[in-house]
Amino acid sequence: MSDEEPAKPALQLKSQKFRDTREKDWRTLSRALDRLDQGKLNSFSTDELLNLPVLYRSAVSSLSMARSISLDRNLIGYLQGLCARAYMGIYGPHARFKDILTGYFGRQWPESVRRIGPEFLLSLACLVIGIVAGWLLCAGDQSWYSALVGEDMSGGRNLSASAADLKKTLEGSTDGLAVFSVFLMSHNTQVSIFAFALGVIAGIPTALLILHNGMLLGAMLWLFARQGLLVDFAGWLSIHGTTELLAIVLAGAAGFHMARRIMFPGNLTRKAALVDAGKLTGSVMLGVAIMLLLAGLLEGFGRQLITDTSARFGIGAVMLVTWIVYFTQVGRRLTLKFEEADHGRP
Amino acid sequence: MAAPNPAPILDDTLSFDAQGKYQRRVTYITTPEGVRLPFITATFAERLGAFILDYLIIIAAPVALILLFFILPFEQVDWKRAKGLGDILMILFFMAMFFVRTGYFMAFEMGPRAATPGKRVLKIRVIAHDGGHLTPVMVITRNMLREVEFYLPLTLMGMTMQGGGWVALSAFLWTLVLALLPLFNRDQARLGDFLGGTRVVHMPRQSLGIDLADTEADRRSGIIFTRAQIEAYGEKELGVLEEVLRERRPATMAAVATRIKTRIGWDDPKNTNDVPTDEAFLRAFYAALRAHLESRMLLGKRRKDKHDDVR
Repeated sequence: MSDEEPAKPALQLKSQKFRDTREKDWRTLSRALDRLDQGKLNSFSTDELLNLPVLYRSAVSSLSMARSISLDRNLIGYLQGLCARAYMGIYGPHARFKDILTGYFGRQWPESVRRIGPEFLLSLACLVIGIVAGWLLCAGDQSWYSALVGEDMSGGRNLSASAADLKKTLEGSTDGLAVFSVFLMSHNTQVSIFAFALGVIAGIPTALLILHNGMLLGAMLWLFARQGLLVDFAGWLSIHGTTELLAIVLAGAAGFHMARRIMFPGNLTRKAALVDAGKLTGSVMLGVAIMLLLAGLLEGFGRQLITDTSARFGIGAVMLVTWIVYFTQVGRRLTLKFEEADHGRP
Repeated sequence: MAAPNPAPILDDTLSFDAQGKYQRRVTYITTPEGVRLPFITATFAERLGAFILDYLIIIAAPVALILLFFILPFEQVDWKRAKGLGDILMILFFMAMFFVRTGYFMAFEMGPRAATPGKRVLKIRVIAHDGGHLTPVMVITRNMLREVEFYLPLTLMGMTMQGGGWVALSAFLWTLVLALLPLFNRDQARLGDFLGGTRVVHMPRQSLGIDLADTEADRRSGIIFTRAQIEAYGEKELGVLEEVLRERRPATMAAVATRIKTRIGWDDPKNTNDVPTDEAFLRAFYAALRAHLESRMLLGKRRKDKHDDVR
């Protein structure tokens, strides 16, 4: 269009006039977006930055205009792409670290955990029932132990192990402890994600998974109790276990919440309920991953370095209390405001 | 900025010619300014292609790491002495595996392009369906559900093949329905998209071509069509004609020109010097047809194609 004669004929389509007057803005916007894509945000002058939203809005209005007056497909396609790119440039995923820190840890995470309270109790019940069942089964018939705790999980903690052998497994050893903690962290995170994602299937597999983990634990408790090492084992477990088990229970609770919202969407449409539940459980799960990372560190380093049972209990208890206080207290006042704002919406 | 109502025939689909595809489904996103912005929905095939590419990377990563281990001069190391080094290597390996299996999709989709390498190759990306920012929580939710959408059916399929019986088979079929959900809804969204409140869209790069309707040149060439001749076609044919003219392949243009001439009963001038070239004829017809259809469009009368009764 650049090499036109100066005297433009009167014979021009409306869509052409439209294009002639606006094309310059589109080109400017496109060039600015290219620069944004190359990550040169700092090279923009203040005027250029202020101009960006203006150009974006004008491009969007050009698009709706073009769709109603022009049949030039290339033009409409171009504008569609341009608007999409501009929208991405302006509303793309740029999470700022500080916002995440205050917004997520200060409000969103404890708030979403509070909102899945009933499911949390259900998930906790599954775990407790699992532990009791695991213990009782093994107490009733020893052969259950090897059925529940596979050879690869037991690591020498089997029925034939003597009290001394068992005691040895509880001692700290610095051999490859960091490797072990990373391995456990990745394993536990995967189990939690699985427990959560299985909630989609009516939540039954989630319940089974939590029950199974509880039974495993119950069986091990029984094994150590049989040799009179229950307190030592509990200490060994509690240093990281309070954080880890809480995380797994939370993951299960998130799964249950999803299952409930899918089956009983309430006043919302099922689609809207899904989005809502997804946001809530996603916030919980991000926190679960962080908790498991912490638990992995406690397990890998803390447990191997601190061998005194009462110190282990102390750390475990401190962690548990911290979590409880955090989840029940943090972000309360902000939550109220948040809910008011929510209800104010039409 | 009163957004005019989209015309009915363009409501769900967008005429699009970049790849010669006629129409593609559109996902509307209402931006925070209240504008309904159309995005081209990524097809199941595109998404599957991107996933396969990503998965190849996921599979190749451990292999590459192990190869790297053998290429680097580790045979010089006395492992009994350098225990710390071994530990660090193991940690790095486990971390890398963990990242690849769990964090690959999340990390890339949280990045500025909101797309994994596979998605970038196929020019698709993730957007927030509510029109706002794509938040980390959305990305996490949509990717955690891959466990039930991909890994679970895979596991169950393995169980079925190893003689898991009807329980494994029915569980497999059940999860298969979840996995193939994108085929059964208009937005081609998978379960993770619904829960995360995200959609995957196709974002091709398209350049702005010249305006093909050059009315001034047409006037000089002296090609004039009667109204009846122009009314033989509708918007769909106009789009095809535009595509032909942009491609400028002589054989195609000749064939199309012949067909149009036959249909509208066009007689070439007697003097062979006055006979326009195929391209000149097609451009003149394109300009005339577009001028006619656009003027009708302003009156709210849109003719979809040549079989449409709207005049």
